[in-house]
Amino acid sequence: MAVLRGEQGAVQFDAAGSSNATIVGTRSWSLSTTKETLDVSKHGDTFRSFVGSMISGSGTVELVYDPDATGQAAFLEDVFTTADSADATFELFTTGTTSGSDSVSFAGIITDMEVTSTVGEIDIVTCNFVTSGTITGNLQ
Amino acid sequence: MAAADLNEIRATVEGRLATELAGTPPLPVVFNNMAYEPTPNSSWVQCLTAFGANEYLGHGLTTSGYNRIVGLTLINIFTPKGVGPGANFVIGKRIRDLYNRTIVSGVFFDAPNGPEATGSPSPEGYFQTQVRVAFEFIEEL
Repeated sequence: MAVLRGEQGAVQFDAAGSSNATIVGTRSWSLSTTKETLDVSKHGDTFRSFVGSMISGSGTVELVYDPDATGQAAFLEDVFTTADSADATFELFTTGTTSGSDSVSFAGIITDMEVTSTVGEIDIVTCNFVTSGTITGNLQ
Repeated sequence: MAAADLNEIRATVEGRLATELAGTPPLPVVFNNMAYEPTPNSSWVQCLTAFGANEYLGHGLTTSGYNRIVGLTLINIFTPKGVGPGANFVIGKRIRDLYNRTIVSGVFFDAPNGPEATGSPSPEGYFQTQVRVAFEFIEEL
């Protein structure tokens, strides 16, 4: 067992969904997943019962902006993709960059991108995304 | 991309001052760990560079990671005692202008603080002011 620290993490992405590659300069990521529930209580029941239904996810990736950093431009500019078919693939790692290990992977859409430039501070870019389709967890 | 060379950063910071003070009018400048015996009633400058707290900026351990390295250069300006602050502040402006919001070899210099007169000059026998220049370097591993 080992506790992890954020600097061990990484984000991989491919706008075309064919071959994920590490984005250089990411500094945080978060993913929130939600499972909807359906009420299946019947007449005569005295306690409600539910079954799990649709699963969805959304999250954020934050980057230290560097126009020359590998993978950043394609990631930031994916928000400008029109008629986005959610073909982009993401893999968010808690540690390492071995695909399918210590990560969550999915296809998704970058829904907004915010660039922040403040005097005396490092330029930061924040991208929010939603998942589309299967979310595969490899966090064990 | 490689680990930052702190001595290169120091040389960038101090070399800029050495070059400037070698120009007209020239002024003696002394750095850390250098012996210097000032001439009485002369003007001279002392430059002390130190690195401070660093912090993680990005993901990645020894590869693809970004760190922020911060430092501070203290520049003590000594001018003759008892003749007012003017000569000292002329040197102070020269030094301040040298670093003010510049970016040199990846070193980001903040707006300098000072020149600020010190109550107890060290060494004694001079009028002393201090300019403090904070700087930052982004290490890309």
